[in-house]
Amino acid sequence: MIRKGPNSTMTDVSDYIVDLQGVTFRRGQRVIFDGVDIRIPRGKVTGIMGPSGCGKTTLLRLIGAQLRPESGSIWVNGRNIPELGREQLFAARQDMGMLFQSGALFTDLSVFENVAFPLRVHTELPEDMIRDIVLLKLQAVGLRGARDLMPDELSGGMKRRVALARAIALDPQLMMYDEPFVGQDPISMGVLVRLIRLLNDALGLSSIVVSHDLAETASIADYLYVVGDGQVLGQGTPDELMNSDNPRIRQFMQGEPDGPVPFHFPARDYLQDLIQAEKDA
Amino acid sequence: MSAVDRLVLLGRAGLDTITALGRSGLFLVNVMFGRASFGNGWALLVKQLHSVGVLSLAIIVVSGLFIGMVLALQGYNILVGYGSEQAVGQMVALTLLRELGPVVTALLFAGRAGSALTAEIGLMKATEQLSSMEMIGVDPLKYVIAPRLWAGFISMPLLAMVFCVVGIWGGAMVAVDWLGVYSGSYWTNMQNSVQFVDDVLNGLIKAVVFAFVVTWIAVFQGYDCEPTSEGISRATTRTVVYASLAVLGLDFILTALMF
Repeated sequence: MIRKGPNSTMTDVSDYIVDLQGVTFRRGQRVIFDGVDIRIPRGKVTGIMGPSGCGKTTLLRLIGAQLRPESGSIWVNGRNIPELGREQLFAARQDMGMLFQSGALFTDLSVFENVAFPLRVHTELPEDMIRDIVLLKLQAVGLRGARDLMPDELSGGMKRRVALARAIALDPQLMMYDEPFVGQDPISMGVLVRLIRLLNDALGLSSIVVSHDLAETASIADYLYVVGDGQVLGQGTPDELMNSDNPRIRQFMQGEPDGPVPFHFPARDYLQDLIQAEKDA
Repeated sequence: MSAVDRLVLLGRAGLDTITALGRSGLFLVNVMFGRASFGNGWALLVKQLHSVGVLSLAIIVVSGLFIGMVLALQGYNILVGYGSEQAVGQMVALTLLRELGPVVTALLFAGRAGSALTAEIGLMKATEQLSSMEMIGVDPLKYVIAPRLWAGFISMPLLAMVFCVVGIWGGAMVAVDWLGVYSGSYWTNMQNSVQFVDDVLNGLIKAVVFAFVVTWIAVFQGYDCEPTSEGISRATTRTVVYASLAVLGLDFILTALMF
């Protein structure tokens, strides 16, 4: 299938599920993205990495159209997301699943009802079939036995796994993970890493993992983007990036505290600052 | 601060206010006239009617009872000086139906249900529940906001009526059973002087208008709040303050137009 849209070159849709072209986004005066091009290959796990506050979560919200870019196009499955009307947008979102950092479970619904929620609102399946699907999804994340618990009875890692089961309830084509490894103990971290890879391959999904946890993301991602300062600083397979010549990428990948990204927040001269304090005293 | 700076600040405050009004107007239009709700819309509405309406009943009944009793007591003390304590029934009924019923119910409703609505919606926003609903392809305006808005519209006028009825009964308890006003004159004077259209219907119109304003302010403040604990606390305060001021201001305008 070939499509052509404004400001876009012809692209074969089957290769890339998401295609950001020249996306610019700013928050007030601060430029978050400045003409960024990012392509997410179909069927692969793609990692988006970068220092905290560089706009990684914003990127997911742009793809999910919870934010609108100032300029540029965001193609998801052949549809330019910023141009969709409200109703088309809600339809397009049914092909996307998103795992939020907090899990974002509905606190007034049980685990079972949380996972059943998308099925109930978007399908007219009979109750016994909904039950089967929910149990299948919960089994996939290992929480079938927790189906009658309420979200406040779950640990942080379990919440995220229930949210994952809910996100894949409608069998989306694209899964987006927002910082899935933050605040996880080593065991649940390992479980999540395995699940993301497993679900991607078993269900034939395409996955975007936004994270600053280097080792975990590099271990599951087929392809990585490093973003910062509103730009794509580098891209490639994890091995390629590890051996990059670019000092900024090297600093990030090796986890060096000081380098092109300074350790110190901009401030006036240290000595001057100390002398001033003495004068004031 | 120079005069120009002050002018700039004033201009910015004005623009912010107008933008917020525009946003809340668009929000209301989207909630009320957006695409059709989901199949379980009724179940959602009934659940909200329970938490917004039924759970507010206790405070409305108790307040209505005491206000009716105080009205009768004060009215009796004044009227007895003129030998017209038989008129206490009509005084209690008219005061409640025309003014205190709708106004006090709206103020209590803003404090009891309005603040709860704002805090609940604000917390859903802060914990990304609204965002995740959007990503599931469900419009939170339809699923979360609309049932709460309609529940407020429907239940507050009903609560105002309950308030009036309980108040009149409380007035009768004090005036007739305690102070010894003849029960025939308490009820007959009331029947003769209370007009259905002028008093009951106008009071009900007031209650409907107040219900609309209070619930709108409450759900909008929740939906529009800054998603932090401080933001939610500010939004909850704003709901009670704005709703109370709007009710009192509108009450004056409506009274001037109606009576």
